[in-house]
Amino acid sequence: MTGGPGDLTADPGSDPDLRAAEYVLGTLDREERAAMALALATDTAAVARVQAWERRFSPLLGAIPPVMPSPRVRAALLRALPVGPGGSTAPQGGNPLAGDPVTQDPRLRDPLAHLRRQVRRWRIATAGAGLLAAGLALFVAVGLRPEPEGGRYLAVVQGGGALPALIVRVDTRTGTAQVRPVGAEAPAGRSLELWYVGAEGPKPLGLVGGGATRVTLPQGAAPDGVLAVSVEPPGGSPSGQPTGPVVYTGKLIAE
Amino acid sequence: MAGPIFAAGATQDRVPPGLHGADDARLRRLLFEIGRGEAAALAELYDLTSPKLFGVILRIQRDRSLAEDVLQDAYLRIWQAAGSYDPEAGRPLAWLCTIARNRAIDGLRRKGAAEVQGPVRDDGEDWVARLMDPHDDAAAFLDRDALGACLGRLEPAHRDCVVLAYCEGRSRDELAERYDRPVNTIKTWLHRALASLKTCLEAVT
Repeated sequence: MTGGPGDLTADPGSDPDLRAAEYVLGTLDREERAAMALALATDTAAVARVQAWERRFSPLLGAIPPVMPSPRVRAALLRALPVGPGGSTAPQGGNPLAGDPVTQDPRLRDPLAHLRRQVRRWRIATAGAGLLAAGLALFVAVGLRPEPEGGRYLAVVQGGGALPALIVRVDTRTGTAQVRPVGAEAPAGRSLELWYVGAEGPKPLGLVGGGATRVTLPQGAAPDGVLAVSVEPPGGSPSGQPTGPVVYTGKLIAE
Repeated sequence: MAGPIFAAGATQDRVPPGLHGADDARLRRLLFEIGRGEAAALAELYDLTSPKLFGVILRIQRDRSLAEDVLQDAYLRIWQAAGSYDPEAGRPLAWLCTIARNRAIDGLRRKGAAEVQGPVRDDGEDWVARLMDPHDDAAAFLDRDALGACLGRLEPAHRDCVVLAYCEGRSRDELAERYDRPVNTIKTWLHRALASLKTCLEAVT
């Protein structure tokens, strides 16, 4: 059968609108779909094309008859919600079609606790359903290859398929991380900011630029922390805490 | 708690698959509350909408047990994303169904086309006929009518490919098998159909 990964490169001149339409139809193959999902995390024009096709086809949804699911799904769902005793569990923003920056009301949430909750929720969601996406638009897969000497790790934070979004090289002995973006693009007028999320909450590591950058991990950074990338105003979060939707996370696992 | 908008086994005569304006307002309110982290609102939303979303998922993921995993995952995603729902972007039920469809299709494509789903048996025409049943409210009527009319203008085989892909998650490979054509031909059919559909809908609406 054709339809393998080769199609993506075999058809480079494809009309972006037809690609968006096929994404909505669901007929892109795995690799093409992953590439589109990655684009949706950052490309607002692609988001608009996909939304337009969703609207065009949505009347067909009315033709699909409802079916009652087993009651255990409801029970399992409610069990899976990370409702802590300490208060609200404000869900994250983030357009499920995209990774489109969202206006958030800062009164409603504490960004630090919010990001921790978010990461926890993602773990639950991904654990509960195999390799399901952290964002609807984005598959997060982390390949970690311990290097020969202890304390050094290579994390590849992927946007699904074979398209790495960020390659993060971490050396916990020197407390440095080297970040090399591969095809990670910020939405127009926004910056992507890298965070280290440890026990003390998110610490800014710097902006994800066009080339490789070297950043310094916060004191006491443990290899079991989480790396996250959020969409921020130009120049990065003004508050020192993530304010926009988190579009990638990747976990560093101790050797 | 009120009964489900989409009851199990409901016929189209009794329970409209679309939603009336008041129901839209209720779903929007629930999404707002879910966005603030209110678990009770998610439970209520689930009770109102899960039969519809499960119907959408089960058409794509035929394995009931896997479909239930997808359903749970879809609501976890709704829990995360509710705060970003923008009423301007579309009706709440369509937004919810889109999340469910995407989750279901992601699941299938990850597995690869070969090992899932039986042969395509349904006819795309059946879906168009169901689309044209007079069961929706006035607000959706024009859009539905336009889509039905524009689908009706496509080459029947091209139209069926589009509809079977959208409603049942059929891949290019599955459609190629059904129509006994190379995958590239199916791709061409889809592209022609989609381009015509867009032109037609832009002219009509």
